[in-house]
Amino acid sequence: MIRKEREIKVIYVLVLAIFAVFLAVPIVRLLMESFIGEAGAGIENYVNVLTGKGFMKALGNSVTVSVSSALISTLLAFFMTYSIQYTNLNKKFKTVIQTLAVLPMLLPTITYGFAIIYSFGKQGLLTKLFGTQLFEIYGFNGLMFGYVIYTLPISFMLILNTMGFIDKKFMVVSRVMGDSPVQTFWQTIIRPLLGTLAASFVQCFFLCFTDYGIPASVGGEYDVVATVLYNEMLGSIPNFNRGAVVAMMMLIPSVISIALLKYLERYNMRYNRISQIELKKNPVRDGVCAVGSSLILLSVLAIFAVIFVVPLVQEWPYQVNFTLEHVQAVLNDQSLFGVYQNSIFFFFCTALIGLLVTYGAALATARSGLNGKLKGVIDAIALVTNTIPGMVIGIAFMFIFSGTALQNTFFLIILCNVVHFFSTPYLMMRNSLSKLNSSWETTASLMGDTWIKTIVRIVTPNMTSTLLEVFSYYFVNAMVTVSAVIFIAGARTMVITTKIKELQYYTKFNEVFVLSLFILGTNLIVKGILGYVIKRKEKKEN
Amino acid sequence: MLELKHVKKSYDNVTILEDINLQIKDGEIVSILGPSGCGKTTLLNLVLGLTPADSGQIIFDGKDMTNVPMEERGFNIVFQDYALFPNLNVYKNITYGLKNKPEISTKEEVDEFIELLGLKEHLNKKIEQLSGGQKQRVALARTMVMKPKILLLDEPLSALDGVIKESIKQKIKEIARDFHLTTIIVTHDPEEALTLSDKVLIVNKGGISQYGAPQEIITAPQNNFLKEFILNQLEIKRNNIFALFQQDITRKVQAV
Ligand SMILES: Nc1ncnc2c1ncn2[C@@H]1O[C@H](COP(=O)(O)OP(=O)(O)OP(=O)(O)O)[C@@H](O)[C@H]1O
Ligand SMILES: [Mg+2]
Repeated sequence: MIRKEREIKVIYVLVLAIFAVFLAVPIVRLLMESFIGEAGAGIENYVNVLTGKGFMKALGNSVTVSVSSALISTLLAFFMTYSIQYTNLNKKFKTVIQTLAVLPMLLPTITYGFAIIYSFGKQGLLTKLFGTQLFEIYGFNGLMFGYVIYTLPISFMLILNTMGFIDKKFMVVSRVMGDSPVQTFWQTIIRPLLGTLAASFVQCFFLCFTDYGIPASVGGEYDVVATVLYNEMLGSIPNFNRGAVVAMMMLIPSVISIALLKYLERYNMRYNRISQIELKKNPVRDGVCAVGSSLILLSVLAIFAVIFVVPLVQEWPYQVNFTLEHVQAVLNDQSLFGVYQNSIFFFFCTALIGLLVTYGAALATARSGLNGKLKGVIDAIALVTNTIPGMVIGIAFMFIFSGTALQNTFFLIILCNVVHFFSTPYLMMRNSLSKLNSSWETTASLMGDTWIKTIVRIVTPNMTSTLLEVFSYYFVNAMVTVSAVIFIAGARTMVITTKIKELQYYTKFNEVFVLSLFILGTNLIVKGILGYVIKRKEKKEN
Repeated sequence: MLELKHVKKSYDNVTILEDINLQIKDGEIVSILGPSGCGKTTLLNLVLGLTPADSGQIIFDGKDMTNVPMEERGFNIVFQDYALFPNLNVYKNITYGLKNKPEISTKEEVDEFIELLGLKEHLNKKIEQLSGGQKQRVALARTMVMKPKILLLDEPLSALDGVIKESIKQKIKEIARDFHLTTIIVTHDPEEALTLSDKVLIVNKGGISQYGAPQEIITAPQNNFLKEFILNQLEIKRNNIFALFQQDITRKVQAV
């Protein structure tokens, strides 16, 4: 090249270095640990773990409950998206569904578990309301309930996204061709969505299979892989090498899931243009959808009601008068509120560093003349980070950084999150960057700009929306994640979610819920402010 | 004077341009004409310095430019899609380069370009509020402010229609004459090439098919490609237009 692009090469090397140190090395170490046993290196650990009854049972449980939850989530999500896209329901009502459906994403999964306990447990809010406990919450039921709440928003967004791109004119074509309503439904809605529905199922399965927050609270005696993994690493009789094996085993379904997702991408139908048509009047369809969607959301919200109720009354369930005592207590307790304050600062740092890393990586792939193979490396990294469950990264970090200066530092947690959540924001950035005019850098450099100057003066100002979205993505996810950080957060480096886990140990549930409320509130504020800024910018541009 | 000597360029072992030899005098307007994919843009990029030549030399005013980086050659380009900066308004786009090199153009000179290109009333507009022709003129102004030694234009007219096309064509001619500026224009429209420029460079199958003044090309085409593709096309166009006016004349005659 006549253009040297020295800066972009430096950025590229830095990005690669980060992933070498904070992804490749830890994962390789984890793999090695899994082969080290008392009698030296070998497959002894694998044999032990796989022939042990506990693991196989947990694996079976994990698969059963994850498959069930993924199915239910996908079905419910389809129902809700259908209500939005294919009915003549009121626009406002649709907006409400859309907003409420994604709300649970703003809370850590560990909170869902406690919310279920306080709703359906013996003393639960809903149990009181119905006068009887509806079902046994510990074990399969509780897990499934939690997983569905957890994955519903993700499935919902995935399906809604594709459904918006289905050309509705084909419904008219199908009808005038004499198809029956069922045939029309199948041909023009389900068929084009099959790939996405399958993708949603796989994605939900992956999330359930690798989540630790929900089993931590409502798992009970029903062991899943995540609980086995936790116990091997941090339980009463830890065995790190066996833990490493379990971690590797958790990786397998994850790899398969992501491979499937990649494969399913091909089945996404692409319509050249999306035409809106007037939907047929059908009060029955609309009524069923309205009632159904409302019921689904009500059930989700009912569970979350306890998060508001429990910490705001004197003593659940015995003294139910309103009080701010508990909130006050948390605010005054430096060991709690201090954690909150620290966390906010570090989530902010995570978002900022995540932003820089993804921006740098995306600049290298989308706006440089680097060799295609070199760019492929970054894409591969994105795919890998998408494949590796948080727990596995956490454990790998634990192996590699214990005893180093980095142990028990916030820096480590920040990088853990940056690496763990790299994939989605990176792809967002790359997409936006590649849509920008490809000649800007050349033009600006002919006007005497250095590359950095062009990035600052031209590229970045045209990327603000995406940059803010990425910032908010990192912030919210860092705030609600527990799986990875639970293994690397020490006493000095508590973040809110690990504090919640600790509070559970001392059965201080008022505090759990107060902190959860803080998380929800903070996320709402962050998302609200950034969303507002993005909207205003987009309005200005149009 | 710009001189290309034995310039060769290939992408992934596919030769795009081979043994290109060419001289362009100062102040000349040269059109590069050829079918899609023949390497017109590539040739422009070679001169600009955006892509390196595999072999051969690019010489400007006796100085070997072959290995001089793009920014230091002092040439400038207007891209087909203009590459205007949407976060800046028209005026800031035009004066973008002066932030880096304020000494290049004076305020008066900038105003002169703005006047010449008829952009005065648009200076505070955002880029997306402009029409295609206006964007083209802004891009032209932004480049002219930098006082390039050679002005390169990649299909400057293809996104424009009818009357606007003719007026931009006129502006380009004016600028080249007024500033005695060497201008190289890529196009795939023979009519455009032959009416706009002092010389036409016809590229086909990786080489120069013919290089000469428009009159030479019309009167003495050197090969079949020229006859069949370029001249034939023009002839059909001419016949169509004649036919149209013929009808018009007949009708008028009948009316009388
Ligand atoms: N960066 C590149 N890498 C590989 N091949 C390229 C690259 N740029 C151009 N080519 C190839 O070189 C050939 C010439 O391309 P070029 O863009 O110069 O054609 P053109 O004459 O400008 O065509 P058009 O009239 O369509 O703009 C094409 O076959 C193209 O595919
Ligand atoms: Mg071209």
